[in-house]
Amino acid sequence: MSKMENHVLTVDGLSIAFGGLKAVDDLSFDIKDKEIYGLIGPNGAGKTTVFNCITQFYKPDKGDLRFKGHGDQIVDLTTKPVHDIIRQGLVRTFQNVELIRELSIIDNVLIGGHIDFEANTLSQALKLPKARKEEKKYREEAEKILEDLGILDRKDMLVGGQPYGILKKVEFARTLMTRPKLIILDEPAAGLNDSETIDLARLIKRIRDQYDCSILLVEHDMRLVMDVCDRICAINFGKLLAIGTPKEIQANKAVQAAYLGVE
Amino acid sequence: MTKKKNIFQKHPAIGFILFGLLLALIPTLAEMGIMKNGYVTTIGGTLIYAIAALGLNILLGWSGLISLGTAGFMGLAAYMSAYLTVDLNLPFEVSFFLAVLIPTLIGILVGLVSLKIEGLYLAIATLAVAEVLRKTFEELGKYTGGFSGKSADYPTLLGLFELDRTTMFYFIIFVLVIIMILTSNMMNGRLGRALNAMRGSEAAAQAMGVNLLTHRLIAFALATIFASVAGVLYVHFVKFSYPSTWSLAMSLNFLAIIIIGGLRSIYGTVLGAFIVYAVPDMFLKQIPFFEDLSYVLNGVLIILVIIFYPNGLISIGYDIRKLFRKLTKGGAKNE
Repeated sequence: MSKMENHVLTVDGLSIAFGGLKAVDDLSFDIKDKEIYGLIGPNGAGKTTVFNCITQFYKPDKGDLRFKGHGDQIVDLTTKPVHDIIRQGLVRTFQNVELIRELSIIDNVLIGGHIDFEANTLSQALKLPKARKEEKKYREEAEKILEDLGILDRKDMLVGGQPYGILKKVEFARTLMTRPKLIILDEPAAGLNDSETIDLARLIKRIRDQYDCSILLVEHDMRLVMDVCDRICAINFGKLLAIGTPKEIQANKAVQAAYLGVE
Repeated sequence: MTKKKNIFQKHPAIGFILFGLLLALIPTLAEMGIMKNGYVTTIGGTLIYAIAALGLNILLGWSGLISLGTAGFMGLAAYMSAYLTVDLNLPFEVSFFLAVLIPTLIGILVGLVSLKIEGLYLAIATLAVAEVLRKTFEELGKYTGGFSGKSADYPTLLGLFELDRTTMFYFIIFVLVIIMILTSNMMNGRLGRALNAMRGSEAAAQAMGVNLLTHRLIAFALATIFASVAGVLYVHFVKFSYPSTWSLAMSLNFLAIIIIGGLRSIYGTVLGAFIVYAVPDMFLKQIPFFEDLSYVLNGVLIILVIIFYPNGLISIGYDIRKLFRKLTKGGAKNE
């Protein structure tokens, strides 16, 4: 597996079919360490399916998904149950922001620390010193992340009723809480206006640099993708169209045809 | 925005213990004749129901899972504890443990089922379990006394302290306070957040590493443990158990308690139990000409509470504070 040395994720021959429909067909690509990688394609191209296969919400029919997790251990993602994916250092966000409205912002961020807690339920129920110390430690960590994202002043407010831009940041904070190796963002620009999208681009780059992780961006918004991605993989009808730098992708005839239609 | 937290927010346990001490005054008040003697029984029963309802609140309020089987499990624990102490002469502590353990194992099995079915279907499945249990209470006359019921005594703690009605009342408060503290610790920590996440979005919970199976089982286990504890306390406080007690109506009352009192609110659950079980007996029966209509009035009261306090009656505290501030401010202006 020497070829994985500087790759965080290698997707090899990924295929999944729903009934007779091949949603993803023999797709291969890889993401390097510290890379911001874009996955694009027109509506129904299979972007979200790829994404759900990587995170094991779907079990692919065929293909290899190798991930370089914590401690540079190579793991085969397909052997892991969905709730164990995060333990490998792979975390995702949701297109429609999946937060818990009835909890405060900081408690939502702390959900990202779920797998890190070591104290068992009994010692938490009894609030033994170990459990208390642990809770305090992660609370401070969450506060630091919120401060980084500039929303620490809202930490005790309920998530319900917060503006959309803030919710996106809370979701970011929750993923950072897991100290990820790779963050997969599912259409993060959806529902944001132009200036918010520019902020988002800046934030994505800053997170990559500051938190030392790779980012896979599954996105519709071409400007965001072209602006932040190091490399892009374009797909259509579940098949690979092209892989390359933003410039190369923009110039690619097959990609243009898929997006604009052919005369 | 960060407000300084007061001592009750920082250490909720202090509040629960004070609450327990306050409740512990009730028998004394009754002896002094300030309160009717019968109220001790009414309030003791209400607190027992509050314990079971707290379990249901963990299940429905925090975890978003429904159960209409609470009464069945509570009844099972009640019969078991009565049989183990009276017929088998086991010490109270041992029978307490067994009468909680066995219903809990059944509760965990129901939790396994909950992975496959949800919402109304889960409600019906749990209802079926409870009805099977109730039928068993009727049919297994050898152990349960059948339709004529099963009696039990006030317990003897550690083989030394024979409880009477008043000391049993203190014991109920003791157990309630412990359960309130444990619930508060669990629900404000990692477990509570995970259950909340599971209720909010199963996909997001899984993506954050929450194992749905384990957490559903934990939720059902806690709910059944609380219901069973309540069942044991019931049979040794009321000293009698009939099959007809553990009916669907009782399970629905638990549902009413947490919705009236407030989902995900610990004090709210106790408040809800008072509204459903104590208010008709203690207050509505005192209204002249309406003595016989107290349960009808209670129904009306419950509907009013739901209309005006859809988030639970516990949020009335907020309104009272606001009113109080308005009054004191208004008073200051007049001076």
